[in-house]
Amino acid sequence: MTNNAESTLPRLLALQRRLARWVGPAVVIEVGVIVLLFVIGFAVSENFRTPDNAVNIFEQTTGLAFVALGQTVVILSGGIDLSLDANIALTSSLLSGVVNGRADLAAPMIAAVLAIGLTIGLVNGALILLLRVHPLIVTLAVAAVVQGITLLYTLMPIGGMPDGFDVLAFGRVFGIPIGATFAVLCFAVVAFVLAYTRPGRQIFAFGGEPAAARLVGVPVRRVVLFVYALSGLLASLTGIYLVSRLGVGNPTGDTNYNLASITPVVLGGTPLTGGRGGVLGTLLGVSLVQTLNNVLNFLDISTFYQWMIQGLIVIAAVSIFIDKRRRAA
Amino acid sequence: MSTTASTTPRFREHGAEAFIERNGLFVFCVVLTVGAALFAPGFRSPNNLQNVLTNAAPLGVVVLGQCLVILVRGFDLSVASVMATAAVIATSFDETTNWSVIPILTVSLLMAVIVGSVNGYLVTQREVSPFLATLAMMIVLQGLRFAWTKGAASGRVPEMIRMLGSQAIYGIPINLLLLLVLSVIVGVMLRRTAFGRKIYMVGGNPRAAELVGVNVNRVTFGCYVLSSILAALGGLVLVGYVGSVDNWVGRGYELNSIIATVMGGVSLGGGRGTVLGALVGAFVLTEIFNITLLLGFPVQFQWVVKGVVILLAVAVYLAAYRSR
Repeated sequence: MTNNAESTLPRLLALQRRLARWVGPAVVIEVGVIVLLFVIGFAVSENFRTPDNAVNIFEQTTGLAFVALGQTVVILSGGIDLSLDANIALTSSLLSGVVNGRADLAAPMIAAVLAIGLTIGLVNGALILLLRVHPLIVTLAVAAVVQGITLLYTLMPIGGMPDGFDVLAFGRVFGIPIGATFAVLCFAVVAFVLAYTRPGRQIFAFGGEPAAARLVGVPVRRVVLFVYALSGLLASLTGIYLVSRLGVGNPTGDTNYNLASITPVVLGGTPLTGGRGGVLGTLLGVSLVQTLNNVLNFLDISTFYQWMIQGLIVIAAVSIFIDKRRRAA
Repeated sequence: MSTTASTTPRFREHGAEAFIERNGLFVFCVVLTVGAALFAPGFRSPNNLQNVLTNAAPLGVVVLGQCLVILVRGFDLSVASVMATAAVIATSFDETTNWSVIPILTVSLLMAVIVGSVNGYLVTQREVSPFLATLAMMIVLQGLRFAWTKGAASGRVPEMIRMLGSQAIYGIPINLLLLLVLSVIVGVMLRRTAFGRKIYMVGGNPRAAELVGVNVNRVTFGCYVLSSILAALGGLVLVGYVGSVDNWVGRGYELNSIIATVMGGVSLGGGRGTVLGALVGAFVLTEIFNITLLLGFPVQFQWVVKGVVILLAVAVYLAAYRSR
């Protein structure tokens, strides 16, 4: 008995190490935590056990998934984007406000707000290049302007979408949520771009060692513009998703995605210093956060404690395992 | 989180470049004030001027702490959460007697020291980036506060705190006097004490500071603790001015304090800048908000103005910085 247990643990650790070499230690730990959360969920609640609940968790990840994907790419390049909430406020309230129930305006307006989101990102990138100031300051400043414009447009949620628009958020094909599947596809595309294309490798190079990347001819301007434009575009996708889910845009900018988008990135093992990490960890991070919230809901733990637990998890993640990796590197 | 590796830290406070940086804001402040007095009806009225000063004071107190943390190459996003928590603490004791000021101060400062210590520990010992450490602390503290108030903070503060936050002696707001006292303390500490000089050394060049025997971690840790303490005091001053409490007292002060500090010429790269500059930054920011209202723009317009001002400020500083 004891002999068996003694040999199992090292074998598990060896397996973990071997897996970690493939996908990074953060990803392995994330999968472990998600499994653990599912075990807890199965143990505490009848309702958690239904397949429908699992699909619900998947469906609810959509909004966070888009912004977290954009944030990952920005952070990989060594930057940060804090204009997401303002972007979402503007795009979502413009969409529902202008369309105002008219079916013929829905498609052009979706295209328009995607363009607006992209433009906000391009402005971020351009100003960062022009002013050479920390992205934190620039994106906050741009966020302030965008938020102001949004609130000048409307102080209250206005307008609405034609019938059937909620299909983006709630629609299912063969029981699989459409929006969430699209989000996962976006992750796959970005993962491919990052791993196998020249622009993708250039993002890693620039994030890891900006000065060296410049010297070996990485087109720095193009990289910076690209990552912020992508982040802006993805933020407007979250804006559209929220309009589909809630029926109306939210101009107040208190969606809290600026900070929420950083949590899955950090949990996924992408350090804020950039140059290392990837989108797989972020996708699992999004699932982890959503599963955690779901389990805590079933445990009847109030939102207030959920915040606390999330904050503590971030602290634990950044101060325990990511830290060791940095020292090893 | 460094983006431009080319910005070498400099230890220079008396050079021409620093002179331009600091005085640029002073000139801007004077021009803004004179312009507002000439063109914005109502700005000149003693009532409004007193209003601007009273509004600037809580921000100023928080800016003092933010300035210290930014000087050692960090920043503190948890200040607004600390302010709100101090405000909630201020309403958690018997409001009818001024004696409850003693437990209020004790508990708030204790809370601040704990928060600051955790921030400092994470940044110095665990090497967590200041952004994430203080952000996570902010969220944890927010959760604690909401759980403690069950989501709906209420209650009143004792008369003494109310008086300190909102009354005036001979037309001078009391909270402004408090800010002046605290500024002198922090200013003297930075200029005249060994700890203050070490703050500039650590911010200017941590490696060099370490080589000459400065305990970099201890200095950085101290700055985070002081920042939390000043944020708690700022929260008490603010709740004294506002009079009532909710869970979001001080919302937005984390970013406004960083903006004011940076506008005041304190470099995000660490090691350069003064308390006076940061305070003028806080005053200018408050004045700008006041002027947008006086000029009849909707409140929402403050957002746009804020964003444009930040961009202009950093653009101007960087121009001065590069053309030396």
